[in-house]
Amino acid sequence: MVVEIGLGTALGAIGAGVAVGMACLGSGIGQGIAAAGSVGAVAEDPDMFARGLIFTALPETQAIYGFLIAILLLVFSGIMSGGSSAGLTTTSGLVAIGAGSAVGFAGLGSGMGQGITASSAAGAVVEDPDMFARGIIFTAISETQAIYGFLIAILLLVFGGIL
Amino acid sequence: MVDSITTIITTLGFPSVEAFIAALFLVLAVVAVIVVVSTIKPVLNMFPYTYPNARVRARTGRLFTEKEFSEIVEAENIEEIKNYLRGVPDYAKYIDQYPLEKALDSQLAESYDLIARITPDNSKEVFNFLLKKWDIRNIKSIIIAKQADLNLDETLNLIVPFGALSDKLDSLIEADNVTEVINGLEGTEYPKILEDVISTYNETGLLLPLESALDKYLLENLLRSAATPEDDNTSLLHNYIGTMVDVANIKIILRAKAYNLKYDDIESYMISDGYQIREWKLKELMEAEDVASVISSLEGTSYAPMLSDAMTEYTETRSMSSFEKALDSHVFNTAKTISLKNQFGIGPMIGFLNKKEREIRNLKTIARGKREEGFSPSMIKEMLI
Repeated sequence: MVVEIGLGTALGAIGAGVAVGMACLGSGIGQGIAAAGSVGAVAEDPDMFARGLIFTALPETQAIYGFLIAILLLVFSGIMSGGSSAGLTTTSGLVAIGAGSAVGFAGLGSGMGQGITASSAAGAVVEDPDMFARGIIFTAISETQAIYGFLIAILLLVFGGIL
Repeated sequence: MVDSITTIITTLGFPSVEAFIAALFLVLAVVAVIVVVSTIKPVLNMFPYTYPNARVRARTGRLFTEKEFSEIVEAENIEEIKNYLRGVPDYAKYIDQYPLEKALDSQLAESYDLIARITPDNSKEVFNFLLKKWDIRNIKSIIIAKQADLNLDETLNLIVPFGALSDKLDSLIEADNVTEVINGLEGTEYPKILEDVISTYNETGLLLPLESALDKYLLENLLRSAATPEDDNTSLLHNYIGTMVDVANIKIILRAKAYNLKYDDIESYMISDGYQIREWKLKELMEAEDVASVISSLEGTSYAPMLSDAMTEYTETRSMSSFEKALDSHVFNTAKTISLKNQFGIGPMIGFLNKKEREIRNLKTIARGKREEGFSPSMIKEMLI
């Protein structure tokens, strides 16, 4: 079966790719850094496992935001309808790239930043267990940039006529 | 609207909207690659240090606080100190196995060994070389034991079970005299280091030339291994090692000048180069008339202010301890500055090693105070650094 995909829909697909690709790149690097720090902490204090896991899980959210936007783009750009729906116009396709870039690049920066903070927080908690709550707060601050990117991506999809 | 966009695109020289979009993508892709690479690069430089730093920070958190030191100082005797240390997992494994001093040194050596194992590749060479400190310490202990005619058990109590010479230690301990110990080191780098000074030892019977040749080898090569920094981390490591070498040289010169020794008397004990104090400056310092001239010659280096302050105490007491305390504090503060300045790199490792050295030195001071008569807890507290 050959599916006809128009230029707009193809641009939407690129937007979806950028959204999930960049967000996962940031999230992956961030999570790698956080995990390395947490493994070090657990090696010295096995009781750190649960807290290390929490710090390692925090940079996951950026990938989830990117993944959500990518799914929305795939569904509403007509790719997942197998060509039965009209698909996106070229202009909407460009909006889709904007939305994908917003969540993707925001996730890249936010994920890496959060990973560094999470790793330091894991180190701080293993040094002084009372630092846990404060470590979580500092680590959560880096989440805001990803939320901005996610919100702008949603707004672009809504007001760009894709959703 | 669409027509006007098409007109603009055509005016820009693009044959169609598709061609414009393709060009736009190309530009955006290049910009994206530049942004991604420049953002990721510094983050990836931090990555190798995240695991070791977490481990080191865990150990930093287990170092004794001032309150804990106060409790240890209040101990009635050595056995109480040992009981206290039995409750600390880092020390517990050594405390029942070895005498107190050996247990403390073993814990310190374990910390050096850990850092050498977990440090990233670009600083591995320096930390591995730093581990030779324990080989050199063991060789020195054995030759001192042979000279003092200590028995096997007494000699074993001086040996720290770390370093690359572990396999040879048994045969070295069983040697009959200093010359046999040196012969037993065949196959390592040490006989070559000692070959120039062995004749002096044979003539005079003094161990000092042998000991200083070993110390000199360690510090000279340590400085050399750190002398070509690849990045900020190795450059800070060079700063730390360099400060240690400078401080060792200044201590030798100050001690020599306090005893009115001349250039030729001390030249062989000096480390030939330094960090802030380079070869030419060392010659100038060695040629100085007295302690005061050495300190005024150091003007312009970071060592001058604290040595000038210590000079007042030296003038009153004629004791070198004021200078030694000031210089040791300088090394400690250098490590502290590095650890605060470079928290995502080599800083925590340097900071930890320095704090650990200080902890062990303080515990040894407390142990000595408890062993000897006439030291009250407040007097011991004053001796702590």
